[in-house]
Amino acid sequence: MKRFVSRAILFHERYFHFIILLPSLIIIIILTLYPLINVLYLSFYHYSYITGTKYYVGLANFIRIFNDRYFLKGLENTLNFSIFATFFELLAGFGLALLFNIRFRGKKYLLPVVILPMMLSTMVICATWRAMYHYEYGIINYIFRYLGIGDGVKWLMDRNIAMWSVIMVDIWQLTPFAFLIILAGLQSIPDELHEAARVDGAGAAQVFRHITLPLLKPHILMVVLLRTIDTLKIFDKVYALTGGGPGTATVTMSYYIYREGFTYFNLGRASAASVIMFVVVAIVSSLYIGYVIRGQARG
Amino acid sequence: MVRRRMNQIIIYLLVAIVLIIVLFPIYWMVTLSFKPPLEYISRTPSLFPIKPTLSHYTSLWEHKFIRYLLNTTIISLSATIISLITGFLAAYALVRFKFPAKFDRFFLLWVLVVKMVPPITIAISLYVILRATGLINTRLGLIAVYQVYTLPYCIWMLLGFVRDVPMEVEEAAAIDGASRLRILRSIVLPLVAPGLVATAIFSVIISWNEFIYALLFLRTPSVFTLPIHIATYITEYEVLWGELMGIGLLSSLPILIFSGYVQKHLLRSFAMGLK
Repeated sequence: MKRFVSRAILFHERYFHFIILLPSLIIIIILTLYPLINVLYLSFYHYSYITGTKYYVGLANFIRIFNDRYFLKGLENTLNFSIFATFFELLAGFGLALLFNIRFRGKKYLLPVVILPMMLSTMVICATWRAMYHYEYGIINYIFRYLGIGDGVKWLMDRNIAMWSVIMVDIWQLTPFAFLIILAGLQSIPDELHEAARVDGAGAAQVFRHITLPLLKPHILMVVLLRTIDTLKIFDKVYALTGGGPGTATVTMSYYIYREGFTYFNLGRASAASVIMFVVVAIVSSLYIGYVIRGQARG
Repeated sequence: MVRRRMNQIIIYLLVAIVLIIVLFPIYWMVTLSFKPPLEYISRTPSLFPIKPTLSHYTSLWEHKFIRYLLNTTIISLSATIISLITGFLAAYALVRFKFPAKFDRFFLLWVLVVKMVPPITIAISLYVILRATGLINTRLGLIAVYQVYTLPYCIWMLLGFVRDVPMEVEEAAAIDGASRLRILRSIVLPLVAPGLVATAIFSVIISWNEFIYALLFLRTPSVFTLPIHIATYITEYEVLWGELMGIGLLSSLPILIFSGYVQKHLLRSFAMGLK
């Protein structure tokens, strides 16, 4: 009996790390690995949840999607959103970081205020911006009219402007994200480096171009990759601000999948669209993951 | 001297502009929640409520605000507790032990991949799973599904915190004959506690604000979370702004209180892809 107990303990001690990793492993497999494989499998089927029909259709879903103007528009909108939101967030975040890298009084108390938008729920933010964007009663159009710039803009109803209005909200909410990363980068540059360059007779612009910018490259890269990956997923702002409209002006990839899968219950076609979206995001993500792994290997 | 003064003025001017851009929408939310309807449905809105009213806040109780608040709290706390426990164990195993065939590297790589996967792309499969297990439209189902967000996040965050625990302390305890579990519980756990708290808060914030899965997997209002409640409000009532802003403000307060506390950990969590 005694021997049995000690053996049990030995087993426990020996496989301790497997045992404690197991719960996470099981959760991750059930909730991510299996669903991804299942989505790939379903993408080759016609599968309607409403009629309950399910049969193999080969590549038909994919062919159908690539001829679907709604999807192609969604792909185009997603890429536009991603590129412009990322670009302006980086730009604004960079400017903000340069400002906060200067010494001024009260900075310590302002930092938490500046990152406030990032902590708020996207739905709360969308509710507020919807009120501000409102054509008749919104404060933005009121200011426009007050200043005599036209009779107001249909921020969310004009097909040429709606996407920019959504991008604007994303910039407002997530510029702090770019700001914090760039600021950390700026603060990691030793002051002596700048001073040395100054002593050698370099002007402010030269110091910025030849010293600050090259040293910030990893931080800029990180902002660009993380923001690109995140903006490619855009769904909640579109859902709450425009509902994909007007027309197809703000339809995105995520929104297309939502519509196919959860309003029409065309699970096969929605799965095929999911696979396409996964591939698009995976291309950008692999750059980021490669970058993280190299970073881990270095230190 | 004059030039320095000028520079100072320019800096403060820029800071003021930044503050107006950042704070105005938040200020506007607060103002609207205290304005009577006649004031906010107006082509000439005032900067302050002229006749401030609390009526929107009192009517929130009738709209079962507490129920949504309770749902959100239960769901985000439960999801966090599960992820924190399993994530801590996993992080410890991955940092302190060698796995055969580089299994640990593959596992971590996969966890990182999961952080990048767009949530909507696996939503179809998760929907099928939830339907099959009868967990669709339940809080328990949402808690389970939220592990997609919170668990990878907790593992990556805690990995760093566990690495910071000095090996020597653990070795000394092992020589004294303490079991693995004992070492984990009475030596590692207290040392990682501050990291656990920071991780927990971020995890709560993620689930508190989560939208897509709540929208897809919850169908009846009795189980709705706050973001879904707000979304329903937005789409159903075009300009009932007073109450909407009241809900928005009240549902943001818990997050804002906590976020101040964990600020210094913010950057570390970004590297792990909080957003």
